[in-house]
Amino acid sequence: MTSGKALWNSILSENPLALLFLGLCPAIAVSVRVIDALWMSAGVILVLVLSGLAMALLSGESAGAEAVFAPGGAESATARGSLAAGWMRALLITSFLTASFEAGLLALAPTASAALGIYAPLIAVNCLVRGRGMSGFPHSSPGGSMAAALGRGIGFAGSLVLIALVREALGAGTITLFPVGGFGGTIGIPILVEQPVRALGFAGGGLLCLGYLAGAARLISPHAAASSASGRAAE
Amino acid sequence: MSWVAIILTFALVDNVILSRLLGVEAAAFAPGGMRAAAGVGGFIAVLMAVSAVGGWAVDSQVLMPLGFTLLRTPVFVFFVAGLAFALRAICVRFLPSVLQAAGVSIPEIAVNTAALGLVLITTRGEYTALESLVAGLAAGAGYFFVTAMMMAISERLEVEPVPRALKGFPLQLITAGLIAYAFMAFDRAFLARVLGG
Repeated sequence: MTSGKALWNSILSENPLALLFLGLCPAIAVSVRVIDALWMSAGVILVLVLSGLAMALLSGESAGAEAVFAPGGAESATARGSLAAGWMRALLITSFLTASFEAGLLALAPTASAALGIYAPLIAVNCLVRGRGMSGFPHSSPGGSMAAALGRGIGFAGSLVLIALVREALGAGTITLFPVGGFGGTIGIPILVEQPVRALGFAGGGLLCLGYLAGAARLISPHAAASSASGRAAE
Repeated sequence: MSWVAIILTFALVDNVILSRLLGVEAAAFAPGGMRAAAGVGGFIAVLMAVSAVGGWAVDSQVLMPLGFTLLRTPVFVFFVAGLAFALRAICVRFLPSVLQAAGVSIPEIAVNTAALGLVLITTRGEYTALESLVAGLAAGAGYFFVTAMMMAISERLEVEPVPRALKGFPLQLITAGLIAYAFMAFDRAFLARVLGG
C-alpha cells in the first residue's frame, strides 16, 4: 500500500473514533471546548507518529505483540517471551513520548495542560496509540508507517474536533480557539450564547454525541458496520 | 473529606465511567452475558482498588522524594500493567472459572484507562494511603455497578427494534449517555444533603 493510500484509508474508511471506536475516553472528556480538542489532537498525533516511526524501525521484533496473550497466540515460550518484550518496549515508547508531550505542554501552555488534566497522561494508554504503537504497521517502511499513523491521527483529530464543535457551539453557544493578536479566542454564536443546550456540555452529552456520530458514520460509509467490528478486533 | 464523602464521591458523584469518562471502552465492549460482564467489571474494580493504594505508595515514597515527578506517567503505566498481570496470575491460581467465563483480555485491561486514571486522580488530589484505598474500592464498586447496569440494559435492548446504524456500540454509548444524565442526580447538592452540610 502506498503512503498516500494508507493516509487516506486511515482518515476516512478506518476513522479511528467514528468507525473503530478507538481512543474514546479522551475524545469524550476533552471535547467540551474546541481548543482542548485541538491540544489533545496534537498530543495524540505527535505520540502516534513518533511511536509509529519507532516501531517501524524496530519492526520484526514487536509486530503483533498483542497476540502474545491472545487465545491461540504464540505457542512456544521463546516466542511468547519475545512478543512480551516487544509489547513492553512499545508501552515504554508510548509512555515516555506521552510524558515528553506533557512536559512540553506544561512548559509552553500551562493553561492547556491544566485543561487536559489527567487526560494528557492517558494518551499513553489510548487505544489508538496502543493499537498502532504496539502492533506497528507490519511490512511498512518507516515513511509508510508514519503516513498511516499520521492518517489515523488526522482522522481521530477530525472526529474529535467535530464533536467538540457540536458540543461547544450548542452547549455553550461559543467556539473557543487560540487567542491571536486582538482576537480573544472566543467566538460567540448569536441566540445560542443566550440560550445554550447546557446538557451537551456534561459527560452524558459527550457520550450521546459520539454515539450519534458513530451511527451517522455507519450510514455514510457502506462497509462501516463490518469494518468497525473487524477493525477494532484487529487492534 | 470524610470517609462517607469519599465513598459517595468516587462511587456515584464522580463515577469513573459516567462522570470521569474513564474505562468507557472496557465497559461498553464487555463480553456478552451478565456473568462475563460481571467478571470483567469485578476484575477491573479490584485492579482499581489495588492500583489506587499502590499508586499512592509509589508516588509519595519513591517519585516525590527523588524528584522524579515527570516520570509519573511511564511509572504508573507500568505499575498498573504489572498489577494487572499479577492479579491475573492470582485469578488463574484461585479463581480460574471466573477468569475463563469473563474472557479477560489482559493486554486490554493492563492498560485500562479506569485504573490508570484513578491513580492519577488520587495522586494529584494528594489523598493519604487509606483515603486512596477507600477511593479505589468505591470507584471500583461504582465501575462494577455501572458495567453491570449497562450490560443489563444492553440485553434488554437486543430484542427491541433499533435502527441498524445504531446497533451495537453506538447504542451502548447512547445508553451510557442517558445513564450519565440520570446519575447527575448524584451531585454536590446530593452529597451535601446526605452529609447534612
